[in-house]
Amino acid sequence: MNLLKKNKVVFIVSAMLVFTVGVGYVYQYISMSPKDIVEITPEYVGDATEFNFLVTDNLSYWTGKVVQITGEVTELTEDGVVINGTIFCQFENGNDQQSIVENQQINIKGKLVGFDEILMEIKLNQCILP
Amino acid sequence: MMKNQNLILFFLLLSFQLSAQKYFTRSGVTQFEASEKAFEPVEAMNNSTTVILDTANGSIVSQVFIAGFQFKNALMQEHFNENYMDTHQYPKATFKGNLINFSLENLNAVEGFELSGTLSVRGIEKSIETTVNVKEENNRIYVSGMFFVSPQDFKIKIPSIVRDKIANQIQIKIDYELIEKK
Repeated sequence: MNLLKKNKVVFIVSAMLVFTVGVGYVYQYISMSPKDIVEITPEYVGDATEFNFLVTDNLSYWTGKVVQITGEVTELTEDGVVINGTIFCQFENGNDQQSIVENQQINIKGKLVGFDEILMEIKLNQCILP
Repeated sequence: MMKNQNLILFFLLLSFQLSAQKYFTRSGVTQFEASEKAFEPVEAMNNSTTVILDTANGSIVSQVFIAGFQFKNALMQEHFNENYMDTHQYPKATFKGNLINFSLENLNAVEGFELSGTLSVRGIEKSIETTVNVKEENNRIYVSGMFFVSPQDFKIKIPSIVRDKIANQIQIKIDYELIEKK
């Protein structure tokens, strides 16, 4: 009788423990914040001109993907840069662009959000200098 | 030949004239909030809205990428893109409209402008009428305001399990700082 009672207590306690850990994991999973660009492995690494062709070919594939491109800064704006005249990269934080000058070659990582038909350029978001 | 040259000159001058009258931004802020009280906030921000305002006639065009909406919660962001907005099929939302009686000269004297136009989301159009604030300072034009839409307007289906957690009236807030387009 005593042994049975002890077993019951052990069972209840361990069941509660498993339940709590499970709820903890589920909660952590559903309340996760989106991954930072730094943590995401880029789907494309390479030349900006070549990347431009790839996007023209299949825009829908690249939408939402993180990429890392190299190219020339053709325009410097208040919160971003234009690469090769066709790709606008908006910085995650403003400090990154203080080191950049026009006509400089840069390597930049960001998330492609789409093709801007108003300004006719590809738009990258949350950009960082890796 | 001469005629052609004149024509080219005319279009050159015209394009110069047009570009001199435009103000734009690539990084306008568009936010939405669809939270219900007592539930987790349903809101997201997009800070890469492209907006062009033609100061000659007050016509305004804007475009926002759905994939550019940033949520605090990763799962919510994923559901928003994949289940509700079908981002791959409809990557952007656009707005085309007019600021009624717009004039650059007396901008700061007027309290607000009627904005009337068409919002297109998921390929479905809805007309929008609202009042926005438009101010000019240091050769920049600031446009801000808000309006409401509902998920049904754009045939966005919300599963019954989360229906109580998503507001029926979604508030859209806009905040754009436009610079002269050179």
